[in-house]
Amino acid sequence: MKFRALIFLLIPSLLAAQSVAELQKSFEKKVTEFTLANGLHFIVVERHDAPVVSFHTYVNVGSVDDPGGQTGLAHMFEHMAFKGTPTIGTRNWPAEKAAMDAVEQVYDRLDAERNKGPHADPNKMAAISNELAAAMEKADSYVEPNEYDRVVESNGGQDMNASTAEDSTNYFYSFPSNRIELWFLLESSRFLNPVFREFYKERDVVREERRMRVESSSQGKLIEALAATAYAAHPYRNMPGGWASDIDHFRRPDAERFYKQYYVPANITLGIAGDVNPAEARRLAEKYFGRLVARPLPSQYRTVEPVQEGEKIAAVSSPAQPFVIIAYKRPDRHSPDDAALAVLDAVLSDGRTGIIYKDMVRDKQMALGAGSDAEFPGGKYPSLFLFYVAPSSGHSSEENEKELDRIIQQVKTTKVDDETLQRVKTKLRAALIRKLDSNAGLASELCSYYVAYGDWRKLFTELDDYNKVTAADVERVANTYLVKEHRTVAYTYVPGAGAGKEGAK
Amino acid sequence: MTRRLLSLCALLASAAIAQTVPSYKQLVYPPLKQVKIPEPATFTLKNGMRVFLLEDHELPLINGLALIRTGNLFDPPDKRGLSGVMADVLRSGGTSAKTGDQIDEELEDIAASVESSMGESSASISFSGLKETAGTVLGIFKSVMTDPEFRQDKIDLTIAQAHSGIDRRNDDPQGIAEREISSILYGRDNSYGWSIEHADLARIHRRDLQEFYHRYYFPKNIMLAVYGDFSTPAMKEQLEKLFADWNPDEPPVPPFPPVTAKPAPGVFLAEKSDVTQTFFSLGLLGGTLRDPDYPALQVAVNILGSGFTSRLMSQIRTKMGLAYSIGAGWGAAYDHPGTFRIVGSTKSPSTAAAIQAARSELEKMRTTEVSEQELKTAKDAVLNGFVFFFDSPAKTLARVLRYQYFGYPSDFLFEYQKKVAAVTRADVLRVMQQHIDPANLTIVAVGNPKDFGKPLSDIGKVEKIDLSIPPMPALTRPVK
Repeated sequence: MKFRALIFLLIPSLLAAQSVAELQKSFEKKVTEFTLANGLHFIVVERHDAPVVSFHTYVNVGSVDDPGGQTGLAHMFEHMAFKGTPTIGTRNWPAEKAAMDAVEQVYDRLDAERNKGPHADPNKMAAISNELAAAMEKADSYVEPNEYDRVVESNGGQDMNASTAEDSTNYFYSFPSNRIELWFLLESSRFLNPVFREFYKERDVVREERRMRVESSSQGKLIEALAATAYAAHPYRNMPGGWASDIDHFRRPDAERFYKQYYVPANITLGIAGDVNPAEARRLAEKYFGRLVARPLPSQYRTVEPVQEGEKIAAVSSPAQPFVIIAYKRPDRHSPDDAALAVLDAVLSDGRTGIIYKDMVRDKQMALGAGSDAEFPGGKYPSLFLFYVAPSSGHSSEENEKELDRIIQQVKTTKVDDETLQRVKTKLRAALIRKLDSNAGLASELCSYYVAYGDWRKLFTELDDYNKVTAADVERVANTYLVKEHRTVAYTYVPGAGAGKEGAK
Repeated sequence: MTRRLLSLCALLASAAIAQTVPSYKQLVYPPLKQVKIPEPATFTLKNGMRVFLLEDHELPLINGLALIRTGNLFDPPDKRGLSGVMADVLRSGGTSAKTGDQIDEELEDIAASVESSMGESSASISFSGLKETAGTVLGIFKSVMTDPEFRQDKIDLTIAQAHSGIDRRNDDPQGIAEREISSILYGRDNSYGWSIEHADLARIHRRDLQEFYHRYYFPKNIMLAVYGDFSTPAMKEQLEKLFADWNPDEPPVPPFPPVTAKPAPGVFLAEKSDVTQTFFSLGLLGGTLRDPDYPALQVAVNILGSGFTSRLMSQIRTKMGLAYSIGAGWGAAYDHPGTFRIVGSTKSPSTAAAIQAARSELEKMRTTEVSEQELKTAKDAVLNGFVFFFDSPAKTLARVLRYQYFGYPSDFLFEYQKKVAAVTRADVLRVMQQHIDPANLTIVAVGNPKDFGKPLSDIGKVEKIDLSIPPMPALTRPVK
């Protein structure tokens, strides 16, 4: 019986391990890398089955790099990157530029008056505000609206969008493969010569985005409170969208300074996957992206989050049904414990066999949903290993928290059995294989692994790291990091009804 | 130092020459390579199940999808949600030989999955696994499909979770707006429009699940598509063998009940105190993909509200700065009238202004022809992006299966392409006038009226939506 079980366990994982090694080998042949003289790095993956190509621009800048008092600025720039150039998006560039500069001059006067604080003259402020509105209207009259987007969409561009996270900013879309040159032209132009037109209208749009994602979502508010509570010093305490009052005061020169500092060629990696000829890609890269001038890399963020000296609590009042997050401090992704933490995460909550699902959702039915996440909100800096629970109706948040504590105690004191460990490793391997079947996914993954680890091959070789993780490692990292003094508990409660109950914490 | 500077200058000068790049308007594109559209092998098993096979050898994976002709349109009116509970427990409740929990472990040991789900007018069971484990995965897939046990503990679990889901249904404002406009447009007496209540769940029992299963899950009522790293003849043989002993038969499944809703114009408000934005939806009952005007309607509604260049986006987001998310879709469905919708969200004080602006953009589409450039952009987006319909074998197979399931001609997509190419500005105006009557428009807003700058009544007479959740009748509450 024991013998049979052993064979059953070994065979699939052995086969999967072989196929991954083979996959990496065959994958190597499809990948071409090159770096331009200005420092831009390109990763090209050939997949010729269909005449389509996906493009990904990974900029190694995120909301952690937002200047003090200007949270959300990285995200604001991301929006501005769709506004065009001196030749795309304008009806008359010289006139538009003059009108845009006039806007800033009026805005400077408004700020000068505002800076007088209690001595500011409200009548003067109102008058300048009217002038400002008129100046903006004039500048906007030269705009050819959304031309950049229109060129992409009318040429068959698919899934065009961008995202700003704590660690990175990403721009992506796909084209039919006969339009590769158009991507080189458009993408290089927007980072060579971006024009921040309609800046203040877009600032309103960005503010609306925050209202939608954070202010009108109970879970959005909870996550914002969690980050702001868990971190005392490091900018992981701010959401990528930024704080409302910071957004309201962005000025165009702020975004331009940010762009000049962080959008330097050596800080940008480009992924191209699909029906593409690498030699042709290199020729076009030199022609279009060669125009970007090399500049020094920005300095990395220096503030290190100090050691947490005790448990922290964030309570968010909300009429919504309860939600709880418990987050423990963990090191960054370069820690030697990174792989063991990933395996612990999978043991706890991957699929229908994860410990948390089986215990809290399936058997005790105290949670509608529950799980863990090994790395929140990023991996570049020390982050959080978190647990989340949506309690079932009739079951309290406290009851769920207690059960999570019990499970954490269990993984600290009982070694994970071989069968579970093997299953998790097999699933991690299969997850990699499933990642390889889309151009867009590949372009993105290879860029982020290259930036994070210096080599895209880490996408494959991290499986070796997972493979080396033992049950003792899993137990050890649970004991090292899942420590009450280093955690933050964030929960929602219904004002009135739930306050007494939760207030007893 | 000076020399260096000089050579740097020379370098810059030559770089400046090299920098002359064309405008995008000057680019000339080579013709697009011919797309290879794979042809799935199709055949019928001895038991009557239709099968579609498509090889794809890029990765060592095998995936499959079975479509079963049923849906929550067949839920009994006093047991709303039955089909969904059935589909969930079909998988979690195990087979006669194994519990669902045993199946979970067996599948995850080999990093495979088998999942079952229920839609409005189709049910599915899917699987995915590494090539080496295909035999095991197919075996589990087959027993889940043909031999479900519907164990009581998992019925209890699914129903308990559904109760919790009902209690949480008013937490997401966007979700409320979508649900309520569907209810108003389709009516609350059918599954397109109704909400499942606690009392419905309390009336669902194991025998109901078994009866529902036996009525609809039989070979002649199922289409199975398999794609991935296999050889077609071998897979054919394997499936013949696998399903040789499964031969139940039932009378043909009747057509789905038709949509009978009448227009329900008006302004409806659902109050939610904990938001800073109002989530709104403007809509009316639309059409199917069979409608001869469908291609022109797609082009027209795309000009109004699809992508970053649409009128709603240009006006309400870019020019007015009133929304992050705003758009529109014609929303045609395969087998029943879909819903045309404009959907967006704006800060509470600009609720009325944003809705007015959306309505006025709609009105412009109905009174004036669109510009030649707008028409060209909308058509080019479809025609130049056409190749993306064929960029993976999985997409092709899914489309073949869907056309078969809903009885569409196999060249439907190519006919669509031709018709889009032929759409004129006059067509756009005509279909907007003919299919979208603003007098019929249903407007739903979910937000906090205390913060509305201009009252919603500026738009029309406001009817309040009652979001309260009917409690479970005391007598039917299960004893735990």
